[in-house]
Amino acid sequence: MSRPETTIGAPSRLESRRKIGDFLLKYYIQSLLVVALIVLAALNTNFRQPNNLKNILLQSSFAGIGAAGMTLLITAGAFDLSVAGILGVCGVIMATLVAPTSTALGICAALAVGVALGIINGLIVTKLRIPAFIATLGMMNVYLGLGFIWTNGQVVSVAQPAQVSQTTGVVSAATPFVLTLGTGSLFGILPVPFLVMAIVYGLCYLLFRRTHYGRFLRAVGSSEPAARTVGIPVTRIRIIAFALVAACTAIAAVLLTAELSSANAIMATGYELNVIAIVVVGGTSLQGGRGTLLGSFTGALFFAVINNALNIFGVGAYWQYVVSGVLLISAIAVQAVRSYVSAVE
Amino acid sequence: MKQMINNKSMSGSRTASPVRALQLSEGLGVSVLLILVVAAATVTARGFFTYTNITNTVIFASITAVTGFGMTFAIAVGGFDLSVGSVQSITAITVAALLSVTNIPFAIAGALLVGLCIGLANGLIISMLRVSPFVATFGMMSIVRGVALLATKGQSILITKSPIAALNVGKVLWIPVPFIIVLVVFAVLYVVLHHTPFGRHVCALGGNRKAAVASGLSISRITIAVFGMVGLTAGVSGVMLSAQILIANGTLGTGFELQTIAISVLGGTSLAGGSGNLIGTLIASLLIATISSALNILKVAAFYQYLYLGLLLVLALYLDTVRRDILLASILGKGGRA
Repeated sequence: MSRPETTIGAPSRLESRRKIGDFLLKYYIQSLLVVALIVLAALNTNFRQPNNLKNILLQSSFAGIGAAGMTLLITAGAFDLSVAGILGVCGVIMATLVAPTSTALGICAALAVGVALGIINGLIVTKLRIPAFIATLGMMNVYLGLGFIWTNGQVVSVAQPAQVSQTTGVVSAATPFVLTLGTGSLFGILPVPFLVMAIVYGLCYLLFRRTHYGRFLRAVGSSEPAARTVGIPVTRIRIIAFALVAACTAIAAVLLTAELSSANAIMATGYELNVIAIVVVGGTSLQGGRGTLLGSFTGALFFAVINNALNIFGVGAYWQYVVSGVLLISAIAVQAVRSYVSAVE
Repeated sequence: MKQMINNKSMSGSRTASPVRALQLSEGLGVSVLLILVVAAATVTARGFFTYTNITNTVIFASITAVTGFGMTFAIAVGGFDLSVGSVQSITAITVAALLSVTNIPFAIAGALLVGLCIGLANGLIISMLRVSPFVATFGMMSIVRGVALLATKGQSILITKSPIAALNVGKVLWIPVPFIIVLVVFAVLYVVLHHTPFGRHVCALGGNRKAAVASGLSISRITIAVFGMVGLTAGVSGVMLSAQILIANGTLGTGFELQTIAISVLGGTSLAGGSGNLIGTLIASLLIATISSALNILKVAAFYQYLYLGLLLVLALYLDTVRRDILLASILGKGGRA
């Protein structure tokens, strides 16, 4: 009875210092982003221009949206390397359908195909019991191939009919809306893709934290046998998680296609590693069981800020690889060493 | 009491041999597929089963397999290395650059040293700075790629008038030199993994980190050694690649990291860590090379090659799942009868 009292009565100054330390560690990537933003804004006038900030938000959203779904999947103990392929397929489907039919149909088709591809991934991993890494790597090739075959390896333009009609003086009704999805903004600073990203994260957060499904996801990720034993439908949870990643990727595909006003099968090379890096930097463990959507959201912004700052400061293209790698490692190293030190203390 | 002991030892020996059979078949699983694919390719693709084509296929497989072996260690220790593609590029550049000022042995030694140093740096970052292997090697991938592009100013370096091509086209007793390199690296690493304390420590650390720490293993030394080895094997593949294509630039090896992880996993090494299957890695590299070679000979359009390669990979892995099920069922069936 006396022991808990002594711990409660521990020195309060130490306690509060530890609390601040814990807070900074818990919200490390968020604190880092805030500090980086303040320093960069103070250092460079171009950086703090509203247009540039808008650009950062825009650039963060494409990988950021994919990272929302990926966070859920990684929490469930799997990951999806086929997202670049899914993004390509959804992009070209939308681009080819918008002009001959309608914007709505193009978008709906892209999203539906995305979800279908995700379900296929999920079925292959769960029903054929193939490790997610290699199964999705294989499917990446399949989707890339399908995207190439669909487009014959060409870039499909969304805006083509609009250009044709502009010369004849007739403006197609469908096209401006599509472009708005990619390039429009709210109050001139919040790009539409970023708003969509915020909504996606909000929905994923509700799903993750406020539903049984979210709890099951974490249970499956921390111990699959235990989850099975207590009667969680592991297979269904996994398949839905793959579908969610693909759905997020399809949304990113729609926005990216609208932003570029064109699409091709390889429009997102390297997307899978970028997305997983965002999730990992955000603080989600690749071991599964734990995930943070706030971390992924910040991680997406963090990468966009680094890339933007390197451009603003005129760092050469090749130096950017070096500097961003060093920044990434040192940022995470500081956090890792700090949390190790505090664990030892 | 005596009976209990007897029972125990009996049941021990009973389970031991099927379990060993299962372990042995882990390496053989992919090889059944390899035989099937080779047979199918021989029947359907005229010109597949010729000496020249088989040699080319084996050389193609060798370059991936060498780094695949190192990657198998990294996966066994519970991580993986995303920087191998960049390392392959920068070591190929090192060979090309050094060949203009020095002889072949120095050029190769220099390249291997570069690979080893990058690998050791990865290991140091992971063990000393406690950065996860994913982030550390993802960052290193970017850094090394940048240095490779800076060093070459984005240009290509040609290797001219150098007998280093013999490393690629040379043959000893009709066996291409790259495959001999692969066999040597395989033999060395096989012994290291299965017959040395270090190999057991690698698997122990990958299998159960806490237990490994508790039993007094030096985590950082093992991690640094393993990632140093991955860097070294990536360097070997960089040397082999430069000898093959006789040109080096900063964009070589893009996507190499996923290829090498893929052949390790396809070969039966679990990403969960704790074990490595080097034979499987070797056979998986041959399998993938055979599939691409057959698709090339069948003149399958590039677009469709992606599609078929992906589908065949998934099919291959599904057959592997089926094989494991059958074996497990037979083991459990035997256990039930006895």
